[in-house]
Amino acid sequence: MAKTPDDSRLELLQGTLDMLILRTLQWGSQHGHGIAHSIRQQSDDLLKVETGSLYPALHRLEKRGWLKAKWALSEANQRAKYYELTAAGKTQLAREQDRWSQLVTAIGRIMTPATGKE
Amino acid sequence: MRPDERDIDDELRGHLALAIKERIDRGEDPGAARQAALDELGYLPAVRDSVRQVWYSRWFEAGADFARDLRVGLRALAGAKGLSLAVVVTLALGIGANAAIFSVVRAVLLAPLVNRDEDRLLYIRQSAPGAGVENMTFSVPEIDDLKARVTSIGAFGDFSTVDFTMIGFGEPRVVHAGVVSGTFFEVMGLRPVLGRLLTPADDGPGAAGAVVLTHRFWSTALASDPTVLGKTVRLDTRTATVIGVLEPSVPYPVDTEIIANIVTSPHHLDALMVTGRTHRMTELFGRLAPGATLEAARAELTAAHAALETEHPEAYAGRADVGMTVRTLRDQIATPARTILLLLLATAGVVFIVACSNVANLILARSVRREGELAVRAALGASPGALRRTLLAESLVLCGAGAVLGVLLAGPLVTAVARFAARFSVRALDVTMDASLLWVGAGLAMAAAVLLAWIPRLPASDTSAGVSLATGGLRITPGTSRRLRLFATAQVAFSFVLLVGAGMLLAALLALQTTSSVANVAQVLAIDVPLPIESAGPKTVTFVDEAVRRISALPGVTRVAAGNVVPWRDLGKFGPFSFAAEGYTPANGADPPMARLRNVTPGFFATLGVPILAGRDFTDDDRGRGELVVIVSQTIATRLFPNGEALNRQIWWTDAVFGTAKRRIVGVAADLNDESVLPVPAWVVYHPLRQIPYAGRLFVQAAGGDPYALMPAITRVLHEIAPEQPVERAATLEDVRAGLLTPDRVNAFVVAGFAGVALAIAIVGVAGVLAFSVSARTREFGVRLAIGSTPRDLLRTVLREGAAIVAGGIVTGAGLGYALASVATSYVEGLRLPGPWPVLGAAVVLAVAAVMAALLPARRASRVDVLQALRTE
Repeated sequence: MAKTPDDSRLELLQGTLDMLILRTLQWGSQHGHGIAHSIRQQSDDLLKVETGSLYPALHRLEKRGWLKAKWALSEANQRAKYYELTAAGKTQLAREQDRWSQLVTAIGRIMTPATGKE
Repeated sequence: MRPDERDIDDELRGHLALAIKERIDRGEDPGAARQAALDELGYLPAVRDSVRQVWYSRWFEAGADFARDLRVGLRALAGAKGLSLAVVVTLALGIGANAAIFSVVRAVLLAPLVNRDEDRLLYIRQSAPGAGVENMTFSVPEIDDLKARVTSIGAFGDFSTVDFTMIGFGEPRVVHAGVVSGTFFEVMGLRPVLGRLLTPADDGPGAAGAVVLTHRFWSTALASDPTVLGKTVRLDTRTATVIGVLEPSVPYPVDTEIIANIVTSPHHLDALMVTGRTHRMTELFGRLAPGATLEAARAELTAAHAALETEHPEAYAGRADVGMTVRTLRDQIATPARTILLLLLATAGVVFIVACSNVANLILARSVRREGELAVRAALGASPGALRRTLLAESLVLCGAGAVLGVLLAGPLVTAVARFAARFSVRALDVTMDASLLWVGAGLAMAAAVLLAWIPRLPASDTSAGVSLATGGLRITPGTSRRLRLFATAQVAFSFVLLVGAGMLLAALLALQTTSSVANVAQVLAIDVPLPIESAGPKTVTFVDEAVRRISALPGVTRVAAGNVVPWRDLGKFGPFSFAAEGYTPANGADPPMARLRNVTPGFFATLGVPILAGRDFTDDDRGRGELVVIVSQTIATRLFPNGEALNRQIWWTDAVFGTAKRRIVGVAADLNDESVLPVPAWVVYHPLRQIPYAGRLFVQAAGGDPYALMPAITRVLHEIAPEQPVERAATLEDVRAGLLTPDRVNAFVVAGFAGVALAIAIVGVAGVLAFSVSARTREFGVRLAIGSTPRDLLRTVLREGAAIVAGGIVTGAGLGYALASVATSYVEGLRLPGPWPVLGAAVVLAVAAVMAALLPARRASRVDVLQALRTE
């Protein structure tokens, strides 16, 4: 994959990375690289997660008890740390999703009033 | 839960591998793929750190940093073993001594007694300081009068001591017993651990004999036998039943093995005891009445005592003198130990100051050597806080080690100091090391560590001081040098104070050890053969005659004599009583003379080696029906009859105990003060044993060799005469006197030990400062040599530097010591300023030691190699 030019990349909004990670893990356990890969793919290469923010975020979520981790062999045949949602993590995902849609609606009303009055 | 560094690295490496694989799978060149993946990942340690920070809080981070500082500190100190060892040992001595003495002071002076409401328990003492009688005790009529007149004391408890020959627990032996009335234990507020204690129901001549065992006797001699209750023992002629065991408590004023009721002692029931106003042998305790204060009780007692003196003037010879003190029992017990313990505490404190200033010096010198290192770190961006933290970590390691060693050292020290303090206060017997010791030790170490970390100057805060970043070399600044010298001077000053103190004590001890008129202290065995007072009379005379005759016949025995008192051991017995002499009238208003009464057999003076200065010794013809005769001590002869006409004068006791019959002085013996090892006058009147037939002490002069080797034969002979006769406490008079001197000896020893430690530290300090100064001035010395100084000049320069430190220290110490002593004398009784000899001696010792210490660095200075010196830096 060619490098995405800087200007076409989107900065992640503050606080959204945690939500994206939780969302990505909704379908099963995955390692850090896989999570980054799937976020990039699902956003059509618009969102690119920096390693330097991904891993601290993963560990932050693990520390809070929303993720749990176990070591397993990856497809590259190497030891990799697989993350998986906990029950608390699922609840948190639902909460963040609610908040996110509220935020989108609210910002949408301000930015495009016509659609906001639908 | 918390991943370690390796886990994080693994995870990130796994990520990298997957990223590379993904690129290769897409058809990128492996090399390029690897590079691109690496670029994407960023700087690995930074990523790892940011992951780590998720887990670690700020405080934990600081802690981790500090742990790293500690590790660095440990490694750095391992590189400076000599210095570390010096610091640790110095601190351990300081901390150990302080912790040990503190815990004894706490136990002896501060902790409350076990007695119920001990702050209301009083000890009342009658004394006659003018006659040199510290504790003249009370007589039964006096106590009865006080009981009737004083209302602020709810109850009085009386206590007197009697020696019984006790049969019932193993071999017949003499026990030291307390005889008390039924109120005693209630007043003392003590409980039994077994059975019951004595109550007023045990009073009176009709009661059954009852005995309470002290806890010490029960747990040691009887191995805490629980079946002891109800056992019957024979005490001299009476029998008594064991009714209880007392809880562990402080024995005061004397340690006894058993405490019995009045009826066990026939003497306590006879008329002399009950009605004799001057027959004083009872200690008095009191418990404050509800609502009464100590001051009220003291005022009331003093008034009642004054009234008694006016009503019975004949009972208070030298009435202006007899006084009464009232204190709480705790104060009474603690007071004699207070001076000595506070002295020790001060001594230990001074040692701690010396130790700390020496450690400060070592650390300061070390920090000067590493100023280069600190400067580099500061230049690389280390904050002053970080540098301080490094220094703190190092000093913590040092002081922590010092504290651990100090506390280990304190254990044995506590035992030693407690044994020492037990001479002054019975409470010290039960001192053990407790947890407070650890806190004291840790506290001292922390204080020292923080102080030490703040001594060195930081390069960042003072860039003008000329720290050479370029060379990283050693530059000693005048400020540092001055500080080093200041600390060394302080050490010398404090050591000087301690040395003078030790000198004083040693001088006093030497004076004590060289005074005695007894020539044969080493060859004379003193043996207790206690004879009950009931057998006084012909029975005693027969026994003593037989014993003297048969022991004299033993091989290796030169002379044998008997008496009623072993010098320096049977203290406070048989007097002093007042007496009068023909041809002597006390000056107007002066007290009648008082003397101690001794009964001896003929040959007593020859046996002990006390010369008879005039007249003759007793003979076997000085017997009951013959003329009553006495021998007086030199002091009596010269004070009463200054013109030397003491012989053949009449002299008689005015105290009723031994009758007021007139007795003729037939001899004058050299002063033997058997009450004190101090060179004080002896007021003693000797009687022939046959005229006052009461004895119980044998004196055996050995021909040579070990006197103790005679004991088996002597014991056998005595048991042949009387099978149940106890034979006890055989000791040469030299050993007896040594026992009395022990407190002084230990005093001098302990303080001298402290002073020695301080001296050693100070010497190390002076030598260290000079060595440091020499090594810092190598270049200067090189230049001097190059322009024509001789090595001798350099030697002299360094020695002069050392001499200046010592002189400054001694002058400061003299001033300091004088100021301290002046302050102390106003608070502590009996403290004197030292004479010139201890001061001079201490100064000489210090000066010599310091010059020796200075020689080493001085020689090094004089041997500086010019070329090498000029090339340094």
